[in-house]
Amino acid sequence: MKRAGFAQPWLPMLLLLPQLTIIVIFFYWPALEAVRSSFYLEDPFGFGSSFVGLENYQILLESREYRRVALFTLFFTLCVTFFSLAIALLLAVKADKVLRGATSYKTLLMWVYAIAPPVAGLMGAMLVNHSNGMITHLFGAAGYEFRNGLNYSDTAFTMILVAIWKQIPVNFIFFLSGLQSIPVSLREAAKIDNKSGTSRFWTITFPLLAPTGFFLLITNITYALFDTFGIIDVVIKGEPGNNPLTLVYKVYVDGFRGNDLGGSSAQSVVLMVLVLALTVFQFRLIEKRIHYT
Amino acid sequence: MTKTETNRGQSAPRKRRFKLEHLLDHSILILGSLFMLVPVYLIIATSSFDRITVARKGLQYTFSDQMAENFHMAMFESTSFTGTVDGFTMLMNSLILGMGFAIGKIAISMMAAYAIVYFRLRFATFAFWLIFTTLLLPLEVRILPTYEIVQGLGMINTYSGLIIPLIASATGTFFFRQFFRSVPEELVEAARIDGAGPVKFFIDILVPLSKTMIAAIFIIMFVVGWNQYLWPTLITTDEGLFTLVRGIKQIMLVIADNNKIPEFGVAMALAIIAMLPPVLIVLFFQSWFVKGLVESDK
Amino acid sequence: MLARTTLLATATVFCGSVAFAETEITWWHAMGGQLGETVNQIAADFNASQDDVTITPIYKGSYEETLTAGIAAFRAGEQPNILQVFDAGAATVIAAQGATIPVADLLAENGGFDINDYIPGVRYFYADSDGKMIGMPFNSSTPIMYYNTQALEAAGVTAPKTWEEFQSVTAPALKEAGYEPLSQSHLPWIFTENFMSRHNLPFATNNNGYDGLDTQILVNNEAIRDHFTAAKSWIDDGLMGYYGSNWSDNAKPFEEGRTAMWLGSSGSFGGLMQKADFEFSATYLPYWEAVTTEPTQTFIGGASLFAMSGQSNEENAATAAFFNYLTSEEVQYMWHRETGYVPVTQAAYELAQTDGHYDRFPAAKIGVEQLSLASGDNTRGYRMGFYVQIRDVMNREYGRIFSGETSVEDAFNTIETEANELLSRFARTQGAG
Repeated sequence: MKRAGFAQPWLPMLLLLPQLTIIVIFFYWPALEAVRSSFYLEDPFGFGSSFVGLENYQILLESREYRRVALFTLFFTLCVTFFSLAIALLLAVKADKVLRGATSYKTLLMWVYAIAPPVAGLMGAMLVNHSNGMITHLFGAAGYEFRNGLNYSDTAFTMILVAIWKQIPVNFIFFLSGLQSIPVSLREAAKIDNKSGTSRFWTITFPLLAPTGFFLLITNITYALFDTFGIIDVVIKGEPGNNPLTLVYKVYVDGFRGNDLGGSSAQSVVLMVLVLALTVFQFRLIEKRIHYT
Repeated sequence: MTKTETNRGQSAPRKRRFKLEHLLDHSILILGSLFMLVPVYLIIATSSFDRITVARKGLQYTFSDQMAENFHMAMFESTSFTGTVDGFTMLMNSLILGMGFAIGKIAISMMAAYAIVYFRLRFATFAFWLIFTTLLLPLEVRILPTYEIVQGLGMINTYSGLIIPLIASATGTFFFRQFFRSVPEELVEAARIDGAGPVKFFIDILVPLSKTMIAAIFIIMFVVGWNQYLWPTLITTDEGLFTLVRGIKQIMLVIADNNKIPEFGVAMALAIIAMLPPVLIVLFFQSWFVKGLVESDK
Repeated sequence: MLARTTLLATATVFCGSVAFAETEITWWHAMGGQLGETVNQIAADFNASQDDVTITPIYKGSYEETLTAGIAAFRAGEQPNILQVFDAGAATVIAAQGATIPVADLLAENGGFDINDYIPGVRYFYADSDGKMIGMPFNSSTPIMYYNTQALEAAGVTAPKTWEEFQSVTAPALKEAGYEPLSQSHLPWIFTENFMSRHNLPFATNNNGYDGLDTQILVNNEAIRDHFTAAKSWIDDGLMGYYGSNWSDNAKPFEEGRTAMWLGSSGSFGGLMQKADFEFSATYLPYWEAVTTEPTQTFIGGASLFAMSGQSNEENAATAAFFNYLTSEEVQYMWHRETGYVPVTQAAYELAQTDGHYDRFPAAKIGVEQLSLASGDNTRGYRMGFYVQIRDVMNREYGRIFSGETSVEDAFNTIETEANELLSRFARTQGAG
């Protein structure tokens, strides 16, 4: 920050004040409160609470159900991240290549970004309806009885499918602008050096896209972990039942449906630690990214 | 003669191969586009049917004649809801949330970024970290305590309670900081020589310079704000404050409710109304949107 | 003279409205759709019936959401006057003494209260261990068996009284006739809680949880394990359909005429009348003859109304006035008629009888009758904290049984362990244990 700056002492304070106030009240205070309340056992109505030390965490560690949810979250995140990145990359490479209709394809592929996750979930839920969903019929035609909301893996399939669908546009936009920022001279040179399109992609294009890809990897993981809440809530119709849940959804279920404040807070803290780890990783990547560009 | 023939013999299959490759590229793109489009098409088609057909037969491929009626009901009648809220009220609330979120975020983050980049301030590094730590934890992971605090402040079922806690993150600040740092330093020098103070410099030079950036980030933030679900679900229990996306939850409840044939057509119409404004904005301001997305995201 | 009287009357009215400025009270409820419209109608009628009190009903979403919103509001000191709490949430609210005013006390102070005015089946579910009514039973229902008359005729059977009959006679015949014989909409409620009360089996220690917080669940018994083993085999043999933990997904096949019999709520009656385009009727919830030969009454489900504390005396009096209105025989009868929920007072039940309601709709009385069957030591209700989560555990494990992911034994062991952990955890939030 070697910028020739202004020297007024009070103005920057005043400028920072709104942001800092909001952050302190709605970020730091709740974050600390989550940590504090994760050590307590509290009556739902707030008549009393007692300090229980690490008990809430111990319960989580020992809970088979929590492990199951954590495992599913991992699986869900991996699937959503991998498939939405892979499909988006394929589409971006093709959209970058074709001459005719490139703009139309671009438009058609990106606009789903604007659809809210629960609306996407609603579409998914209709498509997998037991008696008249089209996906259910498709599976039925293939000889498989698809039972969303009943069969754990079928429900997981629906959630993953909708989550991928919703995330493709963002990845597509980033990959496409990444591809388009590769200098023409470099492409020409590559064409002369390497005749095969496939090997050209893997040796030249793909490494050049790597910084974008790494960045998107983090974005997608965050998306799968947190932004899919609306999809899940609508697909499972708000009933946990025997349905696959993600960690964030579990925080909500235990906190807001079950009124177990301490247990829910402990789960929040576990997630915070998880996100912190991810972010440390991300900051290293940002450094790399700045280095590359 | 033979030479030409050989040449032709060679080039013809190559040309065909090229065409085949193009065909493959286009097929992949068309398939991809269809994958993105078809679900939405089905919702639109279904919104033109009466509730009994949809309840019995599910999503529809073709169009029927109930569309105007369904949209009218979705917009102006409080079907699916027991209070007085209709689609129009929810549309207004969604607009307030989208605009409030975008404007609020841009305003406070521009100010903060300006303070951090353009002022010599010992406190700046600390403020920087204080602000950027918020990138770490999305609202979802601290949802319960945030709710408790908002409730303690008496902000449940208010627009400020709906909007302000969502603004408490640094995405915008980070973006404007990067942008301000790319503004040539000579501009500040020139402004100083002209005797312009920091406020004048900010309003007369920096803000006009950032116009495109502001527009781009406004579009992104508007869409993000409009599409919020979890927070509005928790914080607004009064129907008068429901947003369209929050209303989707209610649609699901009504569909799950066994006491009535759900107004499926109206529900689909409401879903379409919920997706229309952000989709239109993204389509109309595509280049700004792409710019905002690619350059703002963390 | 006339003019003077009019003037006097006007003055009285005027003074009256000044002296007793209209008291405004709020009522948070979870009645969506058609039920919500009926709730609004009751409120509007009440407001029109007198000038002192205005009640505003506010829909707060699902039962779970309404409870959470009410608790959150209480913590912020902004609680409504009346909160609708569903059966599974009752323990949480009743345990929080000081959060509510017992309805028996409230009504005794404002015009009188006699628990015997209520029908036997609803008297004690929302009462404390001494039998004092805490929450006022409002939308009270109980699980009953609906059946498609044509389907049963086609198969040449009658509605089964026992599960043995269902298993050996009814279901195979219905299957033969091309119907899916049975579906049900709420496993914890119908196949667990009411399984216990129908067979007069203890559901929890401490008198089903009423007498203390250090309660242990008694869900893991042979009778219910056998029931679920049977249910699983019914599903495998195509004698029963299971469509997940969502209520309407399970009701739909019956409404569409594919399933011949459906275990639902007596409160589903009104909706079914609207939806089903076939003739249907209802009968009692079947029982296992192998478990008992003297089946008992079922629990009430649905929800009750709690008067939240921390309000002024005027508002409490207004709440009492509304409760009195709500339990009046005409209103109860209207609610019963429109929705199918049982009338909670004897007087309303009698009114429905004399009015010929049951001659017109014989199925409408099954719920009330089932609640009035012989009672037993274990039929008054149950009281368990964190019960919303316990139900979620049940739903999860039952789903796993039916999808073949777990055995009946393992599932019930898990339910027992997790439920007991939740119960002891709840006891500790209340400073006990």
